[in-house]
Amino acid sequence: MSNIAGKAYAMNVITPIRWYTTWLNKLIFWVALKKPSTLSGLITLSLIHYARWVIIGKNQFPHVHVDQPKEELRYSYMLFFSNFNGSWDQYVDSFTFAIPSGLDMFWKWNIRYPHSVALTPFHKYIQYNQLETAHYYSAYPLAASNDIKAAKKLKSMLIAFDQQWHDAPDEQFQKQYNTLLRGLQHDMGEMRPTPIVSMSAAQVEKRHARDLRKAKQEKVEAMEGPQHG
Amino acid sequence: MGNISGNAYALTVLAPIREGHVDERAYSSLVRDHLENWNLLPNSPMAQVPQTYLCRYFVLDDVYIESLPGASALDTYSDFLPVVPNGVRLGVLPAHDHLKSKYLVFSCNFHGDLDTYLHAMWTAISTEIKDVWGYCYGFDQVTNAEEFAAYVKKCQLPAALFFVGSNDDPLEEQLKALYLKQEFSKFAVESQGLPTALLKKKYQEFIARVAPTNLSGPSWTPGQYSLPKAQDKQQEAAL
Repeated sequence: MSNIAGKAYAMNVITPIRWYTTWLNKLIFWVALKKPSTLSGLITLSLIHYARWVIIGKNQFPHVHVDQPKEELRYSYMLFFSNFNGSWDQYVDSFTFAIPSGLDMFWKWNIRYPHSVALTPFHKYIQYNQLETAHYYSAYPLAASNDIKAAKKLKSMLIAFDQQWHDAPDEQFQKQYNTLLRGLQHDMGEMRPTPIVSMSAAQVEKRHARDLRKAKQEKVEAMEGPQHG
Repeated sequence: MGNISGNAYALTVLAPIREGHVDERAYSSLVRDHLENWNLLPNSPMAQVPQTYLCRYFVLDDVYIESLPGASALDTYSDFLPVVPNGVRLGVLPAHDHLKSKYLVFSCNFHGDLDTYLHAMWTAISTEIKDVWGYCYGFDQVTNAEEFAAYVKKCQLPAALFFVGSNDDPLEEQLKALYLKQEFSKFAVESQGLPTALLKKKYQEFIARVAPTNLSGPSWTPGQYSLPKAQDKQQEAAL
């Protein structure tokens, strides 16, 4: 299992919907898609890299071969995939506190959805319906979603500054440089491999270091062995 | 289309895994083993696939039904009415659904269009793809990038809603920006209080080193999970 890739956490949730209310869910998502202002609440959750909802009709599970048995399901299903920063609790709670009504709107028609408030039943609902990831990859495990947004702004402002003031007279350069820093004060800051960048990478490095230590020790013992013998 | 938001694409694939086993291991368990073995490599094979932002794989064994009462009046009513015969009470509880096949789920966020991405994916890691997807129905017919793209599309499910919380720039742009953020933040701290002439000189050296507009110049690499050590930085600066 590997739900973590650096600062990103992979959440997968599958929940059943009555097939005859599926269209309502699809309609809600269609409106959200056509009217992005409905997602303004989601945008405030700046810890999200990417998220998606997929609705699978009860007869829409992929069927690609004659030997594959056809699914016979009573419900349609909604899959939710999210890539976010921070812990599971932080994420689930931030949804509850920031956009409870939006959350309820998306999951309202899912079977036995307890609503996002109160917190404990909602936690249990997500826990029971969550699927663990076997392999998770992030192209930028050192960065949070906010780092990526800040980096884009920093890059464009630095390039613009450089194009205009690279060879400016000293005094003017200093003045503009200070302006640049003031403009970027919320976007700077070094990124660090914390708290866990990659469980797998950490393990690989740990094992590698242990093997080296072991090999070194064996070599020393082999050299010392004949002398003691 | 729900799969696309700006230049970002949300690919969702459910590939049905064949029934069968090798020795006493079911194919679905072997798929899972392969995926978990990727976790033991120094980096994911997906780091080699151009334009991949974030992606995940898992095996969907079955569907799940939450069993606690939900928030609708009927849920609570049906669960707490002891006078109702058991058969009636159970009848209104959620039905039991089970999948007939297990599915390999691949969920990926990337930059660009689907065909280009899938072709590049096959070119970069066809061996690893075959290791994992080889247990899926119909995958024995896949021998090249074209067929791989066609197969994935057959197993693809459309996203009802795709939300991009960061940005949809090409991966090289994103990695370069992160590299610049890291380096410029350090530079700003280290050059605090320098006399103006020296600051400008140091700044010009800094720009020459980091080459902000050159995407093939110094940058972060896809999947990079550690920062270069101090001596590496000195070597890089000396170049």
